[in-house]
Amino acid sequence: MSDNTTIPEVVTVDEIRDEIVDVKTFYLSFDERPGKKPFAFKSGQFIMCTVFGAGEFAVSLPACPENDRFHLTVRRTGKVTNALHELKPGDKIGVRGPFGNGFPFEDIQSKNIIYVGGGIGIIPLRSSIMHVMQNNQKFGRILMFYGARTPRDLMYQYNLKEWKTAPGFETFIAIDNPMPGWDGPTGFVHTLIKNADIPVKDTVAFVCGPPMMFNAVIKELLSRGLDEHSIISTLERHMKCGIGKCQHCSIGRTLVCTDGPVYTYHQIKTLGEQI
Amino acid sequence: MYRISKDKVNDIAAALAEEHTLYAPALQRETLQVMFTQIKDLARINLTAALPLVPPKHVVFPQFGRTLSYAYDKAKQEVKFTPETDNSPKALFGVRACDLTGIQCLDRFYLGQDFVDEVYRDHRKKMFIVANTCVTPFRECFCSCMDSGPSAREGFDMNLTDLGNEYLIEIGSEKGETLAKKLSLASAPESAKRDREKAVDKSLSLFSKTAKDNKAWISRVVNRVTTGLFDEKAWTYIGDQCLECGACSFVCPSCSCFNVVDSVTGKDSAERTRTWDSCSFEGYSRMAGGHNPRKPVEDRRSKRCFCKLSYSQSKKYLRHGCVGCGRCAWVCPGDIGMPNVVTYIRREITKKGQ
Repeated sequence: MSDNTTIPEVVTVDEIRDEIVDVKTFYLSFDERPGKKPFAFKSGQFIMCTVFGAGEFAVSLPACPENDRFHLTVRRTGKVTNALHELKPGDKIGVRGPFGNGFPFEDIQSKNIIYVGGGIGIIPLRSSIMHVMQNNQKFGRILMFYGARTPRDLMYQYNLKEWKTAPGFETFIAIDNPMPGWDGPTGFVHTLIKNADIPVKDTVAFVCGPPMMFNAVIKELLSRGLDEHSIISTLERHMKCGIGKCQHCSIGRTLVCTDGPVYTYHQIKTLGEQI
Repeated sequence: MYRISKDKVNDIAAALAEEHTLYAPALQRETLQVMFTQIKDLARINLTAALPLVPPKHVVFPQFGRTLSYAYDKAKQEVKFTPETDNSPKALFGVRACDLTGIQCLDRFYLGQDFVDEVYRDHRKKMFIVANTCVTPFRECFCSCMDSGPSAREGFDMNLTDLGNEYLIEIGSEKGETLAKKLSLASAPESAKRDREKAVDKSLSLFSKTAKDNKAWISRVVNRVTTGLFDEKAWTYIGDQCLECGACSFVCPSCSCFNVVDSVTGKDSAERTRTWDSCSFEGYSRMAGGHNPRKPVEDRRSKRCFCKLSYSQSKKYLRHGCVGCGRCAWVCPGDIGMPNVVTYIRREITKKGQ
């Protein structure tokens, strides 16, 4: 349990990088933490981020927990994220967390891994991808399917290049419709999977993206023979507290902030609510 | 066990008021409604009045409460936080059994899960509770179905029972015992226990037809709500009557959802406020991008009843989330309070072929 569950901890925005339209990455550094352990998190967890005077929102952690600059990648959507996008390097924001369960890396050693991301759904997966890339000898085949609307909507361009050439990685990237200047495949992500040779036995799939894409991908993966227990996703919900008290993030009998945000498809299916 | 004559019972309240902020049921002159409110004039306390319109939940979990104020000096890049919690001593005098059970639900939920809620913990820290047995049930009461009344069994420091000429006082904690000694209360004979049981039995016999009818059905309804094994049209029927006002949550002794808002209070300062929220509102689960996983009103109705009745949720409260006070049935403009919901689900699962 972290000791910043109620009062946010102050961090400084060091650098801001434009990713795609309306999406920015904020590199952060923690102020002095006297008497405290260094900030540590597990891949798949999230934090509650305070923009002073505007409010607080839940956001996933795209950085690799072991060796990466701590950062957040945020799309401009509402009041608080708009205020965040107005910030300049040197400004302060607040952080509570990390919260949530994280990806089950202990259970998936030596298995094949399939990543499926749609649009900015790649953000929560990035942390896991970076971890797997650095430890690729511990896993079997590693496949990555990523789709976005246009080439300009592809997130993490600098990482995509790396992933395309990383040893052991099979990377498939598509945009929705053919466009001049794009020589790669086109179509939705699930059609990419349909045409690919994917492993089924001893395989874990990480899926994250908008609900429409999610449902189509799940259908495709299940029809190829993947088990419901080995399809893993991370869900997002309206959250106010992060510590399981405000209950805004409840799905069925669980709370996304304390029981999630990482769920298997089997869990999602039996919760009895829409994702 | 002790006893106290009826005209002296306010001595307990007077003793509590010395060190605590006192809250008790009183008739509000303007509206003629019974309110559980802060008491300055002891003569206003009314232990025989009907169930208060609003439960004492607001004392442990205020409807609006600032939890944090902070100042952000942008020029110096300095942030200063001032957490604001309230741990002043408070006394609840004359709490009905259902409302006390509601507070227990809140205790178990806020203090007993993965994280402890510090704001709630401080409100609850120095609290003295005097419960009051309902010797006659009120309109819409169905605590007998929900195993939370008419008399409290735990969670109080003192429990009063009206035995006609005097009040019987049971002690539930060391704090209660100390107060009894301080007031030199007369001890009650062993036979008073039987008188108390008689009073509770009489009260049980006076419950309304709906409560009596539903009592035998409640566990089956709970089973079906948990498993979802009945026609979902029942929720559409219930949802069609919902006006989405959220009154059911606001008067519920065990509803604990809250919203958090940051608002600017000065040039460099802002505050974080916690306010009650209701899962009946459409915006409750709507996310920043506009996606709302629980948009249809029947889904939101189903969610609330799942929270109050299902086994899965009982794990959080160690009992049903519903305490059977019947307030949702008084206030609901669409007449879909919990007793009616139970009746509708019961009707659905007893249809032919189910």
